[in-house]
Amino acid sequence: MNIDIADYKGQKIVAISGEIDMYSSPELREQMMVLIKKKISPLFVDFKGVSYIDSSGIATFVEGLKCMKRYGGRLQFFGIPLGIMEIFRFSKLDRVFEIYGNIDDAINS
Amino acid sequence: MKDSIIIAIPSHPKYLSVVRAVTGKMGELCDIDESGIEDMKLAVDEACTNVIKHAYKGDVSRKIVLKYKITRKAFKVSIEDSGIKARIDLLKGRNLNEIRPGGLGIHLIRRVFDVLAFDEREKNGNRLVLIKYLKGKK
Repeated sequence: MNIDIADYKGQKIVAISGEIDMYSSPELREQMMVLIKKKISPLFVDFKGVSYIDSSGIATFVEGLKCMKRYGGRLQFFGIPLGIMEIFRFSKLDRVFEIYGNIDDAINS
Repeated sequence: MKDSIIIAIPSHPKYLSVVRAVTGKMGELCDIDESGIEDMKLAVDEACTNVIKHAYKGDVSRKIVLKYKITRKAFKVSIEDSGIKARIDLLKGRNLNEIRPGGLGIHLIRRVFDVLAFDEREKNGNRLVLIKYLKGKK
């Protein structure tokens, strides 16, 4: 897994690539928590390069969202591949996370 | 057709990618489609993750043994550990309407496998048996 944090039109984007599993999710959690402690909002997550996610990865995002909600923050996802979207739907988390097709749709929401 | 392999991995999360790779290759031998293989890789990964988290309480120096067996009718994998006996309530998972971290893995296993059962004959540790029936196979 690789995490790249970039600025786009003045917004923070966390672009993830590779596999998010029990091994890699602690690093994701650590990097997200740095941004969440700074109360960044909205926080955009680019899933285009994600090839795999398991329940550990999903739990990391659920925890992140819960932390952000304490300060009214928004966690927005975009570019989720079909197979991963199916997991979000199955776990009913597509109703919990803000999910968009691309970064501009997310920013304009 | 009857294929079987056994692999043993240390209970370190870095080896989950190895489990996924082996599961994927075994799925290919059954002619399971790409989407089905991805689901199986996730399910077996979740089973091993549960072993590391619950049976071994995060101890990464233990051993997990996976036994794959393919017959004409089924894809079977058993996951064996020598850790703490699994509690039956762990097989239920959380209510999917209840949004919180954790408790999702078991649902991701049940979503794929037709049979999920602990072999109660194991006196020490656990032996989780997962079976997926290969529909349309003779």
